[in-house]
Amino acid sequence: MKKYILTILLISQPIFSELVLEITKGSDNPYSIALINFDGSKTKAYEVMNVIKNDLDRTGEFRILGNKQLLSTPLNEDDLNYSDFKILGIDYIVMGSLKDEDRSNISAVYKIFSVQKESQLRTSTVYGVPKKLKQLAHYISDGIYEEITGLKGVASTRLLYVTEEFSGGLSEFKLNVSDADGSNEQILLKSYEPIISPSWSPNSKQVAYVSFETGMAKVFIQNIATGRREIVLENKFQISSPSWSPNGKFMSLTLYQDGNAEIYILNLKNKNLTRLTNHYSIDTESSWSPNGSKIMFTSGRSGSPQLYELNLKKFNAKPQRMTFEGNYNAKGSYLPNNEGIVFVHRNNNKFQIALKYFNENFIRPLTNSQLDESPSISANGNVIIYAISENETGLLAGVTLSGARFRLPMIKGEVREPSWSGFLR
Amino acid sequence: MFNIQKLANKNLFNLCIIIFLVSSCSSMNVTEETVYDGGIRTVKAAIKEQASLDYKTKAIFTNATVYFEFDKFNLNSKSLQTLKSAVAAMKDNSAIKITISGHADERGTREYNLALGQRRAESVRDYFAINGINENRIMVKSYGEERPISVGSNEASYSKNRRAEIK
Repeated sequence: MKKYILTILLISQPIFSELVLEITKGSDNPYSIALINFDGSKTKAYEVMNVIKNDLDRTGEFRILGNKQLLSTPLNEDDLNYSDFKILGIDYIVMGSLKDEDRSNISAVYKIFSVQKESQLRTSTVYGVPKKLKQLAHYISDGIYEEITGLKGVASTRLLYVTEEFSGGLSEFKLNVSDADGSNEQILLKSYEPIISPSWSPNSKQVAYVSFETGMAKVFIQNIATGRREIVLENKFQISSPSWSPNGKFMSLTLYQDGNAEIYILNLKNKNLTRLTNHYSIDTESSWSPNGSKIMFTSGRSGSPQLYELNLKKFNAKPQRMTFEGNYNAKGSYLPNNEGIVFVHRNNNKFQIALKYFNENFIRPLTNSQLDESPSISANGNVIIYAISENETGLLAGVTLSGARFRLPMIKGEVREPSWSGFLR
Repeated sequence: MFNIQKLANKNLFNLCIIIFLVSSCSSMNVTEETVYDGGIRTVKAAIKEQASLDYKTKAIFTNATVYFEFDKFNLNSKSLQTLKSAVAAMKDNSAIKITISGHADERGTREYNLALGQRRAESVRDYFAINGINENRIMVKSYGEERPISVGSNEASYSKNRRAEIK
């Protein structure tokens, strides 16, 4: 298997200094792109180019050639000689320029050309602020991705995750958001009690999570811009495992009020509860199908954790078992196109992230380390971010459905439970 | 000829993507957009008021820890031995109330482990109940895999972490 490691040092950001991309296997037939250095301020253009390159590399769908690998590096269409690119097997050419308007405004214009058609496909302008140059670059990456693949990109989306830092005999837990590449980390919540199971509301303006700050597991909803937060349901029992319905009106939860973990649906407006499961074994980790008609959950009813599905549209429906391979299949989520599920699977004492398409009768392991968990699928359905454990610390890694793998840069403390936002752009 | 199409105006801040589709012989996309600049506010969780939720132990005789097998919540003979003295202490003094917290090792998913920790705590509670202790004197909760006693990805640590603590 081809294995190469790209280490890209980014200047001017000491906290986020190193991004290691370990691409084990990308697409078998990647798009070749000539990414010509942008015109404009050299240091800013350098930073923007690096972000774009990393964003496109993480998709596993591109082979990117920079100035040094090209025969000519035109800065506008008049100087473009397609044969210089055709000879290198390049499919698309991207060129652009950065304009520092003033101290608070910066804009980028980029153009995409098809070598095969010998014509310009796109010209785009992105307006931003100099302090958020990386975000501007993510927008360009997504524009390139969508022009070439026809799918929306996720470089401009955000991640939500939990970190734990141990110091002075105390653990401090934090709920954080970062850009999709792990940079631009910001803290949503700090606590000396555990925080688990974070997830985004469908409009990505609120988050839900489980906090132990009251002394036991309780589900909170927090508005990320205002910081306003509330306990989703008040009672004296544990509540956990929140999952928003696709329309944002309901939340499925695991309640412990029956003396055992059972799944309920909470109407967020009138706080009405509907019980979904009734079994003496563990039922938890519910998640909604893309159109909201089904709920998948982990149940121990067969003697080991397995995934089950419940049809919400059918009266008195019984849970249908979905996984049969191995003795541990848990925390499932549906692909956004509803063609399959992604979950944690135990194989020979290793916990891996696995994929099962509904039209196949076998599962596809996507990862192969020891303790992989908490998979979360990107809004376009092409990438899965998950938590790994290495040298007894937690890190975040990603795998694309095409097989490319990457790691996000080290963030201080143990990192776990990533959750991917919806589209923000 | 310009065919102007407004694609999205998603949020109250300043995101607006307007795509002008230029319909000439070779169609080219012309787009303009502004980077979304949503703010974020940091919140600190209040320090918990443990007393309001947990039963406070009035005697150290009931302090005990019992251990479990992977993905199991049944009590073994050693655990039963451990719990005997705690039961006796609670019978001797009816004022004693206890909190049982269940825990899991780091393997497996966090929510499943939270539920598993709860089952372990409940197994202990059931033992007290069978032996004549009123369930009102027992508070049960789980920390799942979030509060390990021993840090390390090996069986020596795992076996210490799969536990129920009685306090």
